Amino acid sequence: MRFSGLVENEILKFTRQRRFRVVVLILVGLIGLIVFAQSRSRDRFRSGKDWHVETQERMARMQNMLRDNRTPPTWRRWARFELDRLKYHLDRDIDPEAVSGPLFARGFANAASYLLLPLLAIVFASDIVSGEFAQGTIKLLLTRPVGRANVLASKLAALALAITLTILFGGIVAYVFGGIAYGYAGWAAPALTGFRVAGERLDPAAVRSVALWQDTILAYGLAWFASLSVGAIALLTSVLLRSTAAAMGTMLAALIAGTILPRLAPTWEAQKFLFVTNLPLPDYYSGSPPPIAGLTVGFGAAVLAVWALAAVAAAFAVFVRRDVLA
Amino acid sequence: MSAEAVPTSDAAEVVLSAEHLTKRFGDREAVADVSFDVRAGEVFGFLGPNGAGKTTTIRMLVGLARPDRGRVRIRGLDLAHDFRRAMSHVGCIVESPDLYRYLSGRENLVHFSRMLPDGAEGRIPELARLVALNERLDDKVATYSLGMRQRLGIAQALLGSPDVLILDEPANGLDPAGIREIRQLVRRLATDRGIAVFVSSHLLSEVEQTCDRIAIIHRGRTLATGPVRELVDRVASDRVRVIARPSARAAEVLRAFGPAEAAAAVPAEAEGPIEARLTKERIPEALRALAAAGVEVYAVERSLASLEEVFLEVTGGETV
Repeated sequence: MRFSGLVENEILKFTRQRRFRVVVLILVGLIGLIVFAQSRSRDRFRSGKDWHVETQERMARMQNMLRDNRTPPTWRRWARFELDRLKYHLDRDIDPEAVSGPLFARGFANAASYLLLPLLAIVFASDIVSGEFAQGTIKLLLTRPVGRANVLASKLAALALAITLTILFGGIVAYVFGGIAYGYAGWAAPALTGFRVAGERLDPAAVRSVALWQDTILAYGLAWFASLSVGAIALLTSVLLRSTAAAMGTMLAALIAGTILPRLAPTWEAQKFLFVTNLPLPDYYSGSPPPIAGLTVGFGAAVLAVWALAAVAAAFAVFVRRDVLA
Repeated sequence: MSAEAVPTSDAAEVVLSAEHLTKRFGDREAVADVSFDVRAGEVFGFLGPNGAGKTTTIRMLVGLARPDRGRVRIRGLDLAHDFRRAMSHVGCIVESPDLYRYLSGRENLVHFSRMLPDGAEGRIPELARLVALNERLDDKVATYSLGMRQRLGIAQALLGSPDVLILDEPANGLDPAGIREIRQLVRRLATDRGIAVFVSSHLLSEVEQTCDRIAIIHRGRTLATGPVRELVDRVASDRVRVIARPSARAAEVLRAFGPAEAAAAVPAEAEGPIEARLTKERIPEALRALAAAGVEVYAVERSLASLEEVFLEVTGGETV
């Protein structure tokens, strides 16, 4: 008996259940719908001016900022990056505001990290232990000459793999569909990143310019990390509640609460210690204003890591000790 | 596993033993001080009505539940301390043969062979033949009948070449043909392969036909343990059911031995059942009397006392 055999078992069960195909269909269907809807609505926002002219005007404004002695050094830095970015696009005859396949794929990471990817992680994780209870197969699984901790570890490994593949697949589908609508080129385009929000103002002190492909990998990495931690917490609810419906319901309620709370109670600062508040890591990284003061990527990742580790530890403690009577 | 027959005797090795198993749920003692030994090559029946604590005991035997007191030894290994090594000798079905319905029979067997030492997968074809599932092995378990699932469950339990096979109510929900198949299979496994088979049941007739030795459990306590013949005689009542013609005449003859009543719905001249009271010793005498009176006897069955009665007998009328 090897551990890899146990993981193989879990993968076999994952792929043979209907939920796996449903997740694939959700991703393909949803991303297709977003691309279609976006490509239909974008044209309305154009000013009508030629983008070449518009870009040259913006570059002129940047140059003015750089020449002006009153411009603070941090803004000077930003203006230089922005100028480079605009020039890069103009040199290659690309509209800097146009969506490209790569840009769409990059944007998908941000948009999906709030709800969609955590939701898919929950769909996988909620069933992973409670499903064995519901089918009665837990009685066979735990009466084989394999320690209970190994059984749960194999499930955790398969869950992490499923979440990883789902996010990879989502990214690829977003790129493929985005490419159909907006073209496949543009991975090397510079992307500005690292904005911070200081009080009411955008602080460009830490702005960096990276290639879009690097920026995209980072955004997906953060979305992946957030989804893994949701998966770990969902695993705990699956172990504790032993019912897939109850586990999924609990996690959904938490996710929804996470999107509502910052709007209803924006001044309640303690919510930054909830895991759901910290799920939009890619957003915090891109520098959109966080819903609660004091949220940064580093803080959010740390909170998620603590939640995930605690959940995994609790899941193991309960799973290994508890009598199986159902 | 040797193929030669292993004699069931006191000399055979004890491979499964329960020692003073006790399990409480709140205030209620579901299992109280249950002890027994199961030896290699024997079929051991665990008899008791539903709710007597059979399944709770089995859950403790296979490590699904922890006993509050007592311990389980499998080939001398303490289950609580040596779970993996102990369970490598055990195959089991607890409560019902629950397998992955969305997987095929073969995939289920592959799945569980991956939880065993290498080589278990190679036994799949042989085991599929043994339980007569080789034709349907690649169909989804969802399409199997209960009997087929029961047989697949047994094949799964045998994957690791166990010394101990634990089956919880294997006859439950099966038709008579299915019950007979399982019964023959269980006997073969014990006699030909020397496996110790532990079978729970709530049917006396069931354990009577399959088991070498039994333990009777009631309200969480073992009432008696011993060879099946001895115990069945002890728990059999003097109620006898005779099928004979003419039924009225038969009832009249049997009344000389004790109360006897022909079924009211049957015409006096026809063949019908008669409920009579006869001790075991007087049955031959009664049959001679029936023959002398010209009654044709088709069957004589001894009914079994309810376990409640056995319980009263064993405990000397103490109430619980």
